[in-house]
Amino acid sequence: AIQSSRFSCVGFPLAYIFLACKKKSMALKLKSSDNKIFEVEELVAVQSETIKSLVEDGCANNVIPLPNVDSKTLELVLDWCKNHVDVKLDEEKLKEYEDKFIEVDLAVLYDLLMAANYLNIKDLLNRASQKVADMLKGKKPEQIRETFNIVNDFSPEEEEEIRKENLWAFEE
Amino acid sequence: MADWSQLPKDLLDLIAKHLDSPFYQLNKLRLRSVCSSWRSSISDHHPRRRRLPFLPNDGFITTHQSTFAFHLSKRTIFLITLPTDNNNSWLIKTEEYHPSQMQLLNPLLRTQIKSLPLDSPKVINLLNFRILELGHEFVLHYMNFRPFGNTSLGDVSSLYMEKVVYIRLGSENETDDFALLTIHVSGKLAMFKSGNKNWCIIDDMPLVDDMLSPYDDVVLFRGEFYAVDNTGRTVLVGLSSNLSLVAGSVFGGDKKFLVESVGQLLLVDMYLSAVFDDVDGGAEDDDEAFLDGIMGESTLRFKVFGLDWEGKKWVEVKSLGDRVLFLGDNCTFSAPASVLSGCKGNCIFFTGNFNRNCEEGGSSDGVFRNREIGVCDLDNGSIKPLGDYPEYSKLFWPPPAWVASTTLGVGAK
Repeated sequence: AIQSSRFSCVGFPLAYIFLACKKKSMALKLKSSDNKIFEVEELVAVQSETIKSLVEDGCANNVIPLPNVDSKTLELVLDWCKNHVDVKLDEEKLKEYEDKFIEVDLAVLYDLLMAANYLNIKDLLNRASQKVADMLKGKKPEQIRETFNIVNDFSPEEEEEIRKENLWAFEE
Repeated sequence: MADWSQLPKDLLDLIAKHLDSPFYQLNKLRLRSVCSSWRSSISDHHPRRRRLPFLPNDGFITTHQSTFAFHLSKRTIFLITLPTDNNNSWLIKTEEYHPSQMQLLNPLLRTQIKSLPLDSPKVINLLNFRILELGHEFVLHYMNFRPFGNTSLGDVSSLYMEKVVYIRLGSENETDDFALLTIHVSGKLAMFKSGNKNWCIIDDMPLVDDMLSPYDDVVLFRGEFYAVDNTGRTVLVGLSSNLSLVAGSVFGGDKKFLVESVGQLLLVDMYLSAVFDDVDGGAEDDDEAFLDGIMGESTLRFKVFGLDWEGKKWVEVKSLGDRVLFLGDNCTFSAPASVLSGCKGNCIFFTGNFNRNCEEGGSSDGVFRNREIGVCDLDNGSIKPLGDYPEYSKLFWPPPAWVASTTLGVGAK
């Protein structure tokens, strides 16, 4: 409150502030790996730290190419961002949205994880990691391999080492 | 096609962080056992296992003059399940003395399990089971003599009886700083921070309805310390020993517990009755009768509350749904009934004394009888000793046959 009164003392025109705000929500053009163009508000897009630094460096005037993200994934990611612009959104509703959003199959989850990492969107990255962690929790290694379609590529020597690591001896 | 084995190291680390309880590295150990790429991404868990610190006494306990320090130990509560079959699970508490050397303890009581049955496994292979970490507890042991002599830590005399909660400060691996919160003999909260020489007794025990109300329980919830007093008044305990009110008193029963269940903080109020048998039985026996009364107090019922954070008040919860709460001597934890074989939801496992016919086993039997695990079914309010539920008993003891047979199957030596 003190700051705003100081502004008006100096005669900072309100109109200028409105202009600044309007300028802030200008549209950006993002290009996915499969060459689809997405037009999004800057406020939505700059939740990606990667895009934000491009904007700050003045490199966002033309189309921003995102060679690591396909259009299907980008669409999802932008939906996430749109729903996280308004921080005043009801916490419960946001959680509901996030829970529903992350209910995807493993291939999509993988793409989301990689995209969130590349675009550096912290809350999405954390939510996706949490989802993977929940799927790993308590499972034995063999079940983890089955779930995530991973091949056991250990040599017999490594297998023995792993077996030893995983033994508990009960003392009396 | 997504190739999960080629997940970049920083992402796998992040996922592991979401998995990890801060105290035990079992999940990392499991990820390292999946494939060679993950094995090289996730660092070896052994170097992270560090010795827990010694703590000074310095005015904390004055009744034990000879106590010059404490030794802190950590215990973990695990639920071991056959991967193929949710109907077989085993609840244990372990303390790790040396890497991979485990001491088995009763999951809820302070007592150590004296001896394993002869046919029980001495070694188990974690790779064969689903393992969930349900809780952690920290225990202070009195040290009445200098360590590093001929006496091993295993001989350290008695345990400090109040619950202790522990938090590691600073980010993982960078520091060894920690803070402890427990309840002082005065009923006030006591905090110890690494690097300090002294315990800090937090001078807060307000009069509630003209009665001093000592603290009943402490808990670590979402990385912060909370404490509840005997009336249910609950505070957030800051690391500089500053308190802020979280919820006002509820009064009601006799002992309050704080427990986390699916990310929510719950308050459990335990109603006790002291049974004074034979009140007219001679004035000279008053002390004994009183002691008998204290030891014979039995658990009558429970009430559970959820926290209204904004309204700063506890609100009674009618049902726990699928959840089962465990109120141990040193820690509280919860689990969904679906992973506990033979258990139904909306139950509380606790430790307490049960009304028994004292004449059964001799006259003095009732006075010093052991504490037992009890089960309260909130659906109908019934309270019975664990022994009355054969299905539930199997969850605890003896070690189930499938643990032994599975282990023998892998040829453990």
